[in-house]
Amino acid sequence: MSAPRRIVITGTGAVCGAGRTIESIWNAILEGRSAVAPSRELDAERWPVSVTAEVGSDARTLVEDRRLQKMISRTDLFGLYAAGEAIRDSGLAVERDKLEAPAKVQFNDRSGVFAGSGGGTFRSAYDFFPLLTQATGDLAVFGRDLEMTVDPMWLLRQLPNNVVCHVGIRHGFKGTNACITNQCVGGAMAVAEAAAAIRADEADRAVAVGHDAPIEPETVLHYHNLGLLAREALRPFDRSRAGTIFGEGAGAVVLETADAAQTRGAMVLGELLGTGCVTEGTGILDVLPDGDGLGRAIKLALEQAGVTPDDVGMVVAHGNGTRTSDASEAAALRRVFAPATPPITSFKWALGHTIAASATLDLVFALKALQQGLVPGVATLNELDPALAPFPVSSKPQKPRSQLALVCSRGFGGMNVALLVRAGRSRP
Amino acid sequence: MNARRRIAITGVGMVTPVGLDAPTTWKNLVAGQSGVDAIRGFDAQGFPARIGAEVKEFHPEAVIRDRKLLKFATRSHGFALVAAEEALRDAGIRPNSATGDRWGCSVGAGMMAVTFSELQTVHAFCGDDGEFHPDGLLDDKFPADPVGFCRSQTNTGLALLTRQFGIRGYATAVHTACASGGQALGTALKVMRRGQVDFMLAGGFDSMLNPIGLSAFCLLGALSTDNNTPARASRPFDATRNGFVLGEGAGFLVLEDWNAARARGARIYAELAGDGNSLSSYRITDSHPSGDGPVQAMRQALTDAAMAPESVDYVNAHGTSTLMNDRSECAALHVVLGEHIGRVAVSSTKSCMGHLIAAAGAVEAGVCALAIRHGMVPVNANLAELDPDCDVAVVREKSKPLRVRGALSNSLGFGGSNSCLAFRHPDEVAV
Repeated sequence: MSAPRRIVITGTGAVCGAGRTIESIWNAILEGRSAVAPSRELDAERWPVSVTAEVGSDARTLVEDRRLQKMISRTDLFGLYAAGEAIRDSGLAVERDKLEAPAKVQFNDRSGVFAGSGGGTFRSAYDFFPLLTQATGDLAVFGRDLEMTVDPMWLLRQLPNNVVCHVGIRHGFKGTNACITNQCVGGAMAVAEAAAAIRADEADRAVAVGHDAPIEPETVLHYHNLGLLAREALRPFDRSRAGTIFGEGAGAVVLETADAAQTRGAMVLGELLGTGCVTEGTGILDVLPDGDGLGRAIKLALEQAGVTPDDVGMVVAHGNGTRTSDASEAAALRRVFAPATPPITSFKWALGHTIAASATLDLVFALKALQQGLVPGVATLNELDPALAPFPVSSKPQKPRSQLALVCSRGFGGMNVALLVRAGRSRP
Repeated sequence: MNARRRIAITGVGMVTPVGLDAPTTWKNLVAGQSGVDAIRGFDAQGFPARIGAEVKEFHPEAVIRDRKLLKFATRSHGFALVAAEEALRDAGIRPNSATGDRWGCSVGAGMMAVTFSELQTVHAFCGDDGEFHPDGLLDDKFPADPVGFCRSQTNTGLALLTRQFGIRGYATAVHTACASGGQALGTALKVMRRGQVDFMLAGGFDSMLNPIGLSAFCLLGALSTDNNTPARASRPFDATRNGFVLGEGAGFLVLEDWNAARARGARIYAELAGDGNSLSSYRITDSHPSGDGPVQAMRQALTDAAMAPESVDYVNAHGTSTLMNDRSECAALHVVLGEHIGRVAVSSTKSCMGHLIAAAGAVEAGVCALAIRHGMVPVNANLAELDPDCDVAVVREKSKPLRVRGALSNSLGFGGSNSCLAFRHPDEVAV
């Protein structure tokens, strides 16, 4: 009977409006530079909200294979890029390619792929507009002219699981896998499920990626009508916070057992200690004002890790900037940690809200913060909402009080996920 | 280490093209009754494939009394709510305020949520010339509908289910195309074994039987175009098969701890004994002709269930009735079952109810549970001439009484995700 397998993170990758490398994104956060800028698609003169944090018009260059570019959608470019970066960073593929044939087969069969995917878009169906115009409302014409008007491979480009599929094909991974389409918490759940699969000996290693491209006019319009979007800046926990702002991109981590990482002399960036996942069961948009679900998710993560709230050194909050989410998140964090609440920060003010990618990006930069011994400030914070005080979030950098970071992720469907990580030790 | 938690299936619910509940669906599958016909939900006469397996006479408000909730539900969410209600009622147990934290929900959710009429509206305001112009959305007359937006979110089905039934524990929505339903149940099994919850409502739901969904598969040339003989169009493993038939529906199971189910005197259909899950990493739409990919998933499921090939009596095949899938799947079955291949009954119930896409794996898991319960393996309808490359013991002509000790259910998805679930007869469980 062996001790439970310890799960470590040995590679990270990221892309978002703030940059395409860990260093460039981290520097933007530290320097207080937000990627929020006027949108390429939304006319500021006409649209009530026209700022977003976009990767840019050259997103295609993230994936060099031109044939592949045509087979996937924008969100997949981000996911494939970040997963590729994380795998490269981990050095795993290089190790694998040194193996003899039977060991290589075994390696691939024991390598998992987990994605948190944004799922479908409104935009994808616009490819049918020329056909709709041609058919002038007559479905018989629509059906008859279909094959002459629409790309035969249309469906394949829209598959929500494209990143899982193409990470497998590109990197040879063939093990256990999941594509989680659970809106904002998808990325966090991909990490949690990858870790659970390795712990349960269903895989020896896995890449977990969260990716999304939620910026599109219909989504912006509906979020705005629901009162969820800020017009100018995302100010989490601020007295004047007015909503969230969309971003896009992907974050990815490579997970493996501590033993395997040690055996191959890999750089360990962190250890995943615990995860918690619950729903409040409140329906699509509603959240409980007391942060019930997030509080329970954090407790589950602490229990699994076998640590107490006092052991946690810093928190990367979901901090999406909406009135209700931030208030209930603060309530949950206070309930778990008060009176000794650790330093709190969040990254959406700088990267935008990347929805299914947000928690993986947050995890990547939580690890960076622990390594650097620095909790970055929230540059857009002017004045803490007095209704949330005391709450140790700051526009200035703080020091983590231990090597443990908590990452919070919340989403539609009353979803709440908590990830607890410890900083790794560098290669001796 | 070996004290791993055993998981019982205690409730089954279905909404399918051959029945609005599990007993009706089962009766019709056993009778080999086809649910495939000319598409009636919209005018499909111009499409290359004009047939489908539609759910008929579906009225969710007769089962789900919360009218406000149903306003937020698409057609496939309605299937899910009704099938889940049946599964919970069948199990005789449901979440309450004291137990809601210990209930989880895992769903395989379809990929499409925008209705055709909503797309037509956006087209009218933003795309009359064939291009999308966002400013049309700002027109005073554009009917921006927050309810429609809520319906369209990727986890809306999950959100409606957890709200309706008071589930407050672990919750997830997954999508790996045609493997989604199987993977949702596999996730549920693992989450229960980890002790994260004590009960799971797990299943899948989908409806792509609309102009865009039908177009998507027509464009790929994946559908049978036997428009004049709809009931015979889906014929997995037949030498003349020429594509799948698009279906819709939902299937849900209630899973609970074996000992707890025993203690409360629950009716146990079967043990959900094992899960296998692999990636083919070959091509998006095909699995390898050798069966590589599905082979690993099936082997994992058997190992996970501590089940030997000799104790498998039935396989509910993915069996889509496409040329490639059925061959590759049979190749995989040969590799995994070896010398037992001639003895193991194989059928694809897609022969009667078509391909339910993200719901398929969940409904077919329910079929395996019912096959074990009733000692009957359902017929693979429409098999006239077995493809020599599909040399497996297909259940031909009529359903066959058979005590099923162990069963497997395959779900193989676009994108190369493969799911295999293993089920064990309750009397074969050594406690």
